[in-house]
Amino acid sequence: MNSDDPLATESFQQLVVEPRLPEVLRFLGYPKGVFPPDPMKQSIEQVLTRALPGLEPRGTFSIYAVRAHTRRSLALGSETIAGNIGEFLHGASRVAVLVVTAGRGITELSTEAWGAGDSLAGWAFDAIGSWAAEAAADALTQQISSHLGADEGLTLRYSPGYCGMDLSQQRTIFGLTRPGSIGVSLLPSLLMQPMKSVSGLVGLGPRELVGVNLSPCDRCLQIGCHMRR
Amino acid sequence: MHDFSKLQEAVLAGNSAAAVAAARQALSEGADPLDLVLHGISPAMAEVGRLFEAGDYFVPELLISARATKEVFVLIRPLLAKQGAQPTGRVVLGTVQGDLHDIGKNLVAALLEGGGFEVIDLGVSVSPEKFIAAVADKKAQIVGLSALLTTTLPAMKTTLDAFRSAGLRDRVKVMIGGAPVTQSFADTIGADGYGENAASAVQLARRLVGV
Ligand code: B1M
Repeated sequence: MNSDDPLATESFQQLVVEPRLPEVLRFLGYPKGVFPPDPMKQSIEQVLTRALPGLEPRGTFSIYAVRAHTRRSLALGSETIAGNIGEFLHGASRVAVLVVTAGRGITELSTEAWGAGDSLAGWAFDAIGSWAAEAAADALTQQISSHLGADEGLTLRYSPGYCGMDLSQQRTIFGLTRPGSIGVSLLPSLLMQPMKSVSGLVGLGPRELVGVNLSPCDRCLQIGCHMRR
Repeated sequence: MHDFSKLQEAVLAGNSAAAVAAARQALSEGADPLDLVLHGISPAMAEVGRLFEAGDYFVPELLISARATKEVFVLIRPLLAKQGAQPTGRVVLGTVQGDLHDIGKNLVAALLEGGGFEVIDLGVSVSPEKFIAAVADKKAQIVGLSALLTTTLPAMKTTLDAFRSAGLRDRVKVMIGGAPVTQSFADTIGADGYGENAASAVQLARRLVGV
């Protein structure tokens, strides 16, 4: 095995995500703990039921040994990722590079609903797709944790486009794993297709070095974001 | 003056069928279609906007109210046209070239339609040429550009530059929006305004057409 090769690569064509209304409501724009009254709640629940067959949560990851890192860079395999990510993942001895998607079906459902004039369903399908992409990332992270040794833990998950890494690092991320295996491609504008996709890094290392109780939002400058945790 | 409270209640509740029924009833009782807009629908949508700003309404409530209003417009637009009244304004809207994010632009379109605007939605990844052709063809007063990521923001400037090169920049107001857009970015590229969300986009559009 070449020293630049990943330690492990896995792809999952059917990740398990379980929709919970309170989480979906947050993606619809409701603040934490706020539930719409009926009939709005019923309408949203109906869309959720229709959405489930449209979800195709898939994911892939490759785990690399950290070759080198500084505060502003992280060397994995044959690539070097630039940005504060070097500092954020400083306790990790290995890093999983991941890409997940909720699939294109959910976006198609949203587009159809808008086209038919049902803006509420269009919005709800879209929000469910966003929730499912995040849930797929959580499910894949769970799979990554099966690669932890005794007394090891995972760092938080970091994605290009947030303050740890510029969006241009998408190209590097895509070079380090196999998004094609789950049907995700990167456009010249650095958007991933299908739209409901997420890329990122998660570190693996000694629990005392990686176990921080921060939220990624603590590092984000989008202060007014309705998804802030 | 006709009492439009039933219509307004239906719009606030986002009940399209009740809103259309109330509008029909008002018209059958002799209400003037323009009055119905000015004293029925407009104040109701203004209240919906206020409730959204105050955090009492959220996007789903905005959408169903806007849908109710849009359906009332379907009913009264032919009557307004007979009186020579024009839509509040005509907006060509799209997500800029290279960007596929639909939903922000869709929300803006839905609320603009609820505000009485005629919207020509060009979809996603729209080239500058397509924006220019639609503005010229539809004689739109406003062109609206949306984007999701900082990497697709430069396409907003390219689109504006294309309007300048085509000699059309003075004939149309340009409004922009999307998660990475700021007022200072709008100023830098010379847009006429920036909408932080769909509700403020409607207020901005009204200002731009002088309503
Ligand atoms: C014409 O005049 C106007 C006027 C007003 C206009 C207008 C035009 N157009 C829009 N508006 C305005 O009115 C609309 C309605 O109120 C609003 O439209 P929006 O489109 O902004 O709002 C939508 C209706 C709802 N909002 C959204 O759909 C976006 C919400 C946030 C939280 C968000 C979500 C949900 C998602 N994301 Co992500 N996401 C974020 C967002 C942060 C935020 N708070 O905005 C943003 C956009 N994402 C970001 C990133 C980085 C990413 N996301 C990604 C993924 C995702 C999810 C899949 C999890 C999900 C769905 C994404 C999608 N587009 O479908 C990735 C990209 C996805 C891809 N396909 O390439 C990824 C690249 C992360 C990664 N590496 O995986 C950031 C972009 C930063 C940048 N550098 O550009 C981001 C700002 C978050 C942040 N905290 O920094 C206003 O902007």
